[in-house]
Amino acid sequence: MQDAARPRTKIEVCNLTKRFGELLVLNDISFSVAEGEFVAIVGPTGCGKTTFLNALSCLLPASAGQILIDGTPADPKRHNISYVFQEPTCLPWRTVRENVAYGMEVKGRPQREIDERMDNILELVGLTQCANLYPNQISASMQQRIAVSRAFAVDPDLLLMDEPYGQLDVKLRFYLEDELVNLWRKLKSTVLFITHNIEEAVYVAERILVLSNKPTRIKAEVKVDLPRPRDFMDPEFVRIREHVTDLIRWW
Amino acid sequence: MTAYREVVVRTPLALKVLPVVSVATFFIAWEIIVRTGVVPDTMLAAPSTVTQLLFDKFTNVDPDGALLHQHAWISIQEAFGGYFLALAVGLPLGLAMGWFNVAEGLARPIFEIIRPIPPVAWIPLTIFWFGIGLPGKIFIIWLGGLVPCVINAYVGVKMTNPTLIQMARTYGASDWQIFRQLCIPSALPMVFGALQIALACCWTNLVAAELLAADAGLGFMITMGRRLAMPEMVVLGMFMVGLTGAFIGVIIDKVEKRLLAGIRR
Repeated sequence: MQDAARPRTKIEVCNLTKRFGELLVLNDISFSVAEGEFVAIVGPTGCGKTTFLNALSCLLPASAGQILIDGTPADPKRHNISYVFQEPTCLPWRTVRENVAYGMEVKGRPQREIDERMDNILELVGLTQCANLYPNQISASMQQRIAVSRAFAVDPDLLLMDEPYGQLDVKLRFYLEDELVNLWRKLKSTVLFITHNIEEAVYVAERILVLSNKPTRIKAEVKVDLPRPRDFMDPEFVRIREHVTDLIRWW
Repeated sequence: MTAYREVVVRTPLALKVLPVVSVATFFIAWEIIVRTGVVPDTMLAAPSTVTQLLFDKFTNVDPDGALLHQHAWISIQEAFGGYFLALAVGLPLGLAMGWFNVAEGLARPIFEIIRPIPPVAWIPLTIFWFGIGLPGKIFIIWLGGLVPCVINAYVGVKMTNPTLIQMARTYGASDWQIFRQLCIPSALPMVFGALQIALACCWTNLVAAELLAADAGLGFMITMGRRLAMPEMVVLGMFMVGLTGAFIGVIIDKVEKRLLAGIRR
């Protein structure tokens, strides 16, 4: 689907650096992401993956460097940035539907647009049936799907995901990863997906950025040019997976 | 995919029957203790005597100068006047203190100094300022109800899940939006707790205020019962305070269950 002539650059990260006092966590990171690209970021545990995402989402101010979205400095009020957290972030006092609509409400979209988009997204992720239930009435995996739907609903310039399926069992993971890829292809968002699971990264992403240990920089970049749906028994898949594993292991 | 539907959960039998058993046992035991003279009737009145006085007090103003429902009505006015003023001031103050640094910085030190002073200690000053009429008692009751309102609302906001706040921030939510859409709903269970606690404080202080400075009301009735050596009047006054308080508690509980669907099962 992504053809040879790459679309224009959507996200540009220039010399991103983050220090906590003396501790240098992010060390002069630069990379760019094309519009509609799906990039996975992997790295050893404790390498600062979450700090990296928090800096990208502007939750943490960077110590140096900047993040440009469409050529202007990233700003959650101006750009549509979505962030799917590791833990479920449903608002317990809102129904499933109201939860999915939350991001759009914050951004002050007109009610008609919200309704239209909501019907569309709920249908896509199969949440229509439980649209009027409260989060405590549905399972944890459903709650995570709400967070993913809410993130896609705002038509994000940049969608950040921090190990969204880390706490789910393997079978369900593959199912939800398929769903995620499906959403991404239909809605054409730009996705940055952080995970410590290399198989997951190879399964979903078009490109994988491998992070080093702290102080973190980008150690390598691996293209994943496999047809979808991907088969994780496919020799090429396995080769890429092992390659990335080696990159992480040999720091 | 399985269909989702609402499921009705039944109250267990034990929770239906045992409350009735417990209340009945309590009153029967009480009646027996007084009737058999284990406790002399100059010290405690039997429930039957209290019930007699209860019906008598609906038509007879003697010896305390007012009918039962007049006492009750005056107390309710005082208590609810103070209670609602406490909610109106305490909850917004507490919520704001929990989220906005300016509010916390300004209000916290003064609040911490006023908080440990028991409302009863304000009674002398209150009599100087307002006399022994309605406004003075409302002021005392208000002070009593204010503290739990502020504390619970404050703690409720502080307990907002920080990940939810981060989530809202990434969508570009303003401080005010986060306060309104996340902090206040998060604080609601604590706020409803405050409604109950504040009500208890208000009732308690109501009796205290009326014991010291009043010419009518349930607390005044209790005082008169003591002065006239009529334990049944003391018990009736206490019973009315308890009953009314419990009744209001039930109403608040019902409202809470309806409003907090989804937060509590």
